[in-house]
Parts: sequence; C-alpha cells; structure tokens
Amino acid sequence: MTAVLETRGISVSYGGVSALDHVDVQVAEGQLVGLIGPNGAGKTTWIDAVCGLARSTGETWLGGSNITALTPAARARAGLGRTWQAAELFEDLTVRENLAVAADRRPMWRLVWEALTGAESDPPGIESTLDLLGIGDLGDVAADALTQGQRKLVGVARALAPGPRVVCLDEPAAGLDTAESGLLGQRLRRVVETGVAMLLVDHDMGLILDVCDWVVVLEFGRVIASGPPEAVRRDPKVVEAYLGGAAEESRAALGASAIGTEV
Amino acid sequence: MEQVLAFALLGLGPGALYAGISLGVVLNYRGCGVINVAMGAIAVLGAYVFYGLRTGGYLFLPPLPFVPARIDLGGPVGVVPALVVAILVCALTGWLLDVVVLRALRNASPLAMLMATLGLMLSIQAVILLRFGASGQSAPSVLANGPGDVVHILGVTVPSDEFELAGIVIVAALALAALYRWTRFGLATRAASENETTAVLAGLPPARLSAINTVLAASLAAALGVLVAPLTQLDSSTIPLAVVPAFGAALLARFTSFSIAAVAGVGMGVIESLVTYLQSRPWFPTTHGAQLPGVSDVIFFAIIVAAMYWRGGALPQRGSLVERRLPKVPRPNRLERPAIVCAVLCVAAFLLFTYDFRQAAINSLIGMVVCLSLVVIIGFVGQVSLLQVGLAGVAAFAVSKLSANAGIGFPLGPLLAIVIAVFVGVAAAASALRVRGVNLAVVTLAAAVALENFVFENPTWGGGFTGSPVGPPHLFSVDLSTQASFPAGGGQLPSPVFGLVCTVGVIAAGLLVASMRRGRLGQQMLAVRSNESAAATAGISVRNVKFLAFGVAAAIAGLAGVLYAYNFGSVSADRFDVINALVFVSFAYVGGITSVTGAVIAGLGVTEGVIGHILEKWLGVPASYQLYVAGLLLMATLIMLPEGIAGGPAPPPPVRVISRLIVGPARARRSRAAIDGTLQRADS
Repeated sequence: MTAVLETRGISVSYGGVSALDHVDVQVAEGQLVGLIGPNGAGKTTWIDAVCGLARSTGETWLGGSNITALTPAARARAGLGRTWQAAELFEDLTVRENLAVAADRRPMWRLVWEALTGAESDPPGIESTLDLLGIGDLGDVAADALTQGQRKLVGVARALAPGPRVVCLDEPAAGLDTAESGLLGQRLRRVVETGVAMLLVDHDMGLILDVCDWVVVLEFGRVIASGPPEAVRRDPKVVEAYLGGAAEESRAALGASAIGTEV
Repeated sequence: MEQVLAFALLGLGPGALYAGISLGVVLNYRGCGVINVAMGAIAVLGAYVFYGLRTGGYLFLPPLPFVPARIDLGGPVGVVPALVVAILVCALTGWLLDVVVLRALRNASPLAMLMATLGLMLSIQAVILLRFGASGQSAPSVLANGPGDVVHILGVTVPSDEFELAGIVIVAALALAALYRWTRFGLATRAASENETTAVLAGLPPARLSAINTVLAASLAAALGVLVAPLTQLDSSTIPLAVVPAFGAALLARFTSFSIAAVAGVGMGVIESLVTYLQSRPWFPTTHGAQLPGVSDVIFFAIIVAAMYWRGGALPQRGSLVERRLPKVPRPNRLERPAIVCAVLCVAAFLLFTYDFRQAAINSLIGMVVCLSLVVIIGFVGQVSLLQVGLAGVAAFAVSKLSANAGIGFPLGPLLAIVIAVFVGVAAAASALRVRGVNLAVVTLAAAVALENFVFENPTWGGGFTGSPVGPPHLFSVDLSTQASFPAGGGQLPSPVFGLVCTVGVIAAGLLVASMRRGRLGQQMLAVRSNESAAATAGISVRNVKFLAFGVAAAIAGLAGVLYAYNFGSVSADRFDVINALVFVSFAYVGGITSVTGAVIAGLGVTEGVIGHILEKWLGVPASYQLYVAGLLLMATLIMLPEGIAGGPAPPPPVRVISRLIVGPARARRSRAAIDGTLQRADS
C-alpha cells in the first residue's frame, strides 16, 4: 500500500521545548489511522505541523509529492483536510455556506466576476457530504445555532466537502458521550469506505481501538509504538505510558475498552 | 555637534509627554486589555482644566442638561491646587471610562474596547472645542522656566525644565515597575491579565484592579499633560494625537515594560527634535524651498511598523473568561429592490429639496460611500483600517493634480485616481498581513497621521495652506458638476445634477458590497474574520482575501474621495485629516459596521449630513455639538447595540414603514421552533 500522507522526521520546538522529535507517521490509502498519546504528547502539534501552521523541520509528503514548502492554504488545495478540537466553524455562515466556502476552489478572479454580476453557484457534492454524516437537515442553520455534537460533525463535513485525499481529525469525539462517540465512529468508517484516508486523534481509546486500521502512539513528542490495534493494545510500553504506574488496572481497562467502554 | 546635542536635549520635554502617555497606555493595557486611544485626550483634558483654573479661576464642565458651562471660583487658583484638581478630574474621567464603559465591554472584542476609547477621545476634543474654540491657548507654566532656569552642559545651554520633565517620567516608570513587582496589587494585576479565571477563583476582583489601573493611567497622563503643555501647543488636537508616538513607545515595550515605554517615549521626543534640526541643514530635501511638513510623523510610522515586526507582531495574549464575540454580519436578502427604491428616493429628493438640503444630501451620500469602504474592511474582514479616509484623500488630491498638472480630466482622471488609491491601499495591506485586529488600528492610525502631514499638507503633492483646485467634470460635453444648469432646483448651488452623480456612485458601491456579502468572496472574508488558521486549512488564501478586501475597500474610499473633490471644487488637507477619519469610523460603528444598511444610516448621520442639517436648521443644535454627541453615541452604541442601529431592535412604526418600502416585505423567516425541530431531528 502506498502512503497518501507521510511525515519524515518532523520536529517542532516551542522556544527550546521540544514538542515533536523526529516523528515518522504514515497514512496509507483507504486507511483510518489513529494517533493516540497522553496529554501534551504532541498530537495536535503534529496536525498543526502537517497543515503548515506550526513551524517544523523534516518533510511532509502528500500523495507522493513533497508539500513541506507549501502554505497552509496550498496544502489544503493539494488535498489535505483537517478539523479542530473546538470545531472553529465560520460562525457568520450557515452550515451549507461553511462547506461551500471550503469546497469552492475556483480562482479569485472568477469569484470577483461573480460578485460583480451577482451570479451564484454552489460547488457540487455539498448535500451528499452532509447526508454522508447524517446532517442533511442542517444545511440552512446558522453555525452559531448548533449544539456541540453537531458542530463537530459540521467540522468533519467541512473538511470533507472539497474532496480531500486525507483528513486529520483533531479529537472529534471530545465532549461526546459514549453513544454519540460510537455513532461518530460508524460515520467515520462510512467515510473511509468512500476512499478518503483519515488520521484520527482522540483520547477515547475505545473509539480508536474500535475503528482504526492502524494505531500510532506518541509520548513526549516521540513515537513509542505503532501497529494494528490488537498489537498496540498489548504493547507494555503503551500501557505504561498511557496509563502510568497502575499497569494491572490499565490492562483491565484496555481490555474493557474493546467492548466500547470509555477509559 | 553642539547644536545636535542642544536639539536632542530640547526633545526631552515633548518626549516626556510621549513617555507619560505611553506609560498610561501600558498601565491601561495591563489592567484590562484595552488599547486606549484617548490617553492623549485625557492628558489635554488635564491641561485645559489647569488652564481654566490658573488663568480664569473656573472649572469648565461638559455640555449636559441642567449643568452650567463652568463653575467660577472667584479668582485664579494656585499652582498646586490647580494641578491636584486637574489630576482629580482626569482620574474621575478614567474611573467613569472603566466602570461605565470598559466594564460593560469586558466580553466584547478588544476592538470594541478600542473603539469605545475612540468615542471618549472625540467627546473630550469636542468639549474642548466647545469651551475653548479651535485657535489654541498659551498654557500657563508649572515648572520654573524663566531666563535664568537653564542648565549648561557640554557647551550648550538648555532650559532646566526639559531635564526635570524627563526625570519625572523616568521616576514614574520606576515607581510603576516597583509597584507591579513588589506589591500585592501589582501581583494581582499580573495574575488577572494572565488568567482571569484563576484570578477570580483566587478571590482577586479583576474589575476593581482594572479600575485602579485605569485611574492611575489617567492621572499620570493628566499630570504630564499639565506639565508639558507649555512646551508644546495647547489645542484640541496636538496633545491628543501625541498618542501616536506614545503607541510606538508602548509597542517597543510590548505593552508590558514600564521602563522601556518611558525611555522609548523620551527617545521619540528626541528623534522629533533632531528631525527639526536636520531640516535646518542645507542638504535636507525641501519642497520648492519650503520645509517638508510631517517628516517626524513618517519616522514615527516607520518606528511603529518596525516595532510591530521586531517585537513579534502580536501583543501578549490575555486570558479572559468569556470568548469574545464579533458583531454579526447579516446576509442581505435582496439587491434590486432596495437599490431601485433608494435611487428613486434620491432622485425625488434632489428634484424637490432646496439647495441647503441638496448639499446636506450630497454630503450624506459621500459619507455613505466612505462608510461602505469601512464595512468591507472592518465589518467583513475584521481589519480595523483607520486609513480609509486617508485613501479618499489620496484619490481626491490625485484628481486635482491629474487635472491641473497633466490635463487629465473626467472620466479618465477619477478612474486613475481610484487606481492610485487602490495601490496605496494594497501597499497598506502588505503591512496588515502580519498585523491584525487592534494592532492594525495602531499602525493605520500612525499611517493616517503621516499621510495627512507628509502628503496632504505638502504644498506640492497635497493642498498646502490654500487647497488644490479641481476642474468641473464633463462627460461628452454634458456638465456634471455642482454648477451644472438644471430645470429644477432654482439655479442655486449645488446643482441636482451632481446629486444624481453621487446617487449613481452610492448605488454602485452599495450593490457591490451587498453582492460581495451574498457571494463566495464575502463568505471567504467572513471565514478569515472568524479564524485565520481555520480559513487557511480550509483552502482559503488568507493573504489573497486580505489583499482583495483592502483593494476593494480602497477603491470605494477612492470613489468617495473623487466625489469629495468634485463636490468642493478644491481639495484641502483638513477634509481628510485623522480626526475626520476617526469621526467617520465612529459614525460607521453607530450606524452598523457590518451591513450596507448600517453604512446608509451612518451616512445620514455624518457631520454636515442630512440629520445634522435637520438638527441645526429646525432644532437649532449647532454643528459643534455633533462631534460631542457622536463620541458619546459611539460609546453607548458599542455597549447597547454591538451591531449598530442597523442591527438593533425593531425601529418605531414610521421608520419601519419606510424600511419596508425600501427592502420589501420581510421574507418568511423560519421560526425559532422550526429550527429547533430540525436540530432535534438531526440529533436523533
């Protein structure tokens, strides 16, 4: 399998504090990869570096081309999408406009022409993206009228609307209850089946181990383990890092998480 | 060499004023996160209170119902009591600002707070204009400055008060630094500014800390205002605008360090004085033998831009309790109907109005165009550019110079003038790519001052003292000017023809702005305003959107400038000065900074506009009160109607009938219950 998104030796430091230290992560085509780690492990920093928002060293490759030198917007246009922990929707726009403004990749002069002539047209695929995530009803609702769970789904929809090759999801399940989080997992699997690769960052071990094809574990900015969920679950280093000293308890908890219990 | 030293030392006094205001700005920022534009105005308020007490033995009061204009104390007051009263008055002003205005805006955007202080600045200036006139006064001295009070140093003789003033601000800075480092109050303020939540949990009341800081800041500014006024000019605008170099010093201090702010402020004064010296050298460039005006303002602007880049571009972030909201930007439902109805109303008005109302209507229409430019750049993209009136000035002077020097008249001249304004606007955008929000307001304020003094006041490039003439516009030998003959209107100036020209301009600009908001460009602008990082990772080029917004806003401002030029037949600098720029921004906020409707309401209200004329002619409210009211209204609007009058509650029935007529019947809106139903279905 070829990697659609790959970081090679990505390092980020904030004023001398190393947040990421030579991190290699690969997301293969059609795969749902989980990125887990304790708080402060560098998960969001990794997404920021991949998107070009955090200044980093090392290389980022997207679909076989090196995108390290590109601006965040150019990376997005090359087929990289992301969501945010706090959704960061465009509050003044409706749900449909949130998706349309992200999906519309026409050059600016066309948009200027549209403004001068008063013509309006929406890019295709918006309704189907909303339906895919089960929020087809919300198109005309203003972003600031949504509930927290809906905001997360709209965030995912906005990242998917332009038809990206890969999407990085930053804690889409945070703040959702177990049932909602399970539903989200199903919807994400549905999206991956349409051919979009995904990288999922979350605290919910149950969600990650349930739905992901491959799991990468970060600790203190370094990759300490990676492999299929089953292997990572049993890795003693992971148990130690993620759950600290109480190894026995954590092993039990991890076992329980396989049936969907939150850790 | 001695002369250089002498000039450098002569800059200490004015530098002390910049340093004092700068210390006030830093204190106020650390206390509650406001960038206080009014700090210079508070300093001049202190100076005028002192002036009134010392020379006439009275305390002047602002125009308020049932309040006399002044309290007479029977004779001139001594230096110390006068100084104490001046400081107390300013401390009270600071306290009111904090408790009444800033406290109400704690959860508004930092921009709203900055705008509120702008309202205070305009009100204070208006009160001074009303009570003391525009000509300026000679300020009574406080420190000894007789012929004997001099210091001989390295072969030069310098008045001793220059040293005393510099000493006073340095001591003040050290005292503040000690206060912040070693007292419980200072520790609490620092804690509150870093994390309001923990401060609240720890039992420190941020509101009281903020009030103490604001009062301290105002008192300090007042004291320096009183002390330094004899060395500068005492009028309604010189000391208030000293806030520009003070901002430069505060930026160098990252709005944090008192000692850097004080030293940098004094340094600004020294630089200004040295520029005066350099201008006396034979090799220094001149304009046709006369001194170049505004060189030091250009240097202040350059220092502020450099400080922005060098000091990391961003102010230290404050941790506040509530996420700050920006005013909503409504999507216009219809374009054609409001445009057509407004056009018909304007035509009818110009056919029926008498000449004085025609002139007021023209002023309002041009004001609307200026405000539309502000709606695009501030309302849609969230970039506070205080330069838009300056860009209008660039276009106006370009029209004049193109017709006078190059023989390029209508319509090529105005088109070229708008293109020139766009170039300047996009150049300003280049600086805005790294600077945003409140910082951009500071940069563009300095830019507007530099543009006014260096370009507009210049006798060659600008208007000089007399103004620069503009030939009347003709299209295919049809006279479009204010003097065009027309069957209606009684033959008096301005001709209805020019009113119709302005109508075309307003409708075109309004349609462009509304259409942009409805289309993808507007959505991209709102996305950038919402969150630049999120917009970028959604594939929107933040840089291109900002460039485009600055370009469009500059073009609209340029259109306003062109109309101004033809309106008056001559272009002078004072139309486009920085105070006017600030007045326009206030009116735009009061009307509604986020919509075309808001710009229209703002235009009706601008100085010399329709509402002003009605007030003056029928109710006898003189124009000089309008600035005062505008400043107060700005503060009130920011607190009570963040989206301005246009976004406020339903208007009274007669106004509602008119607005229905213009916008058409209300679209069937989805009721709140219907939306909730949708949400529930989506949830399940």
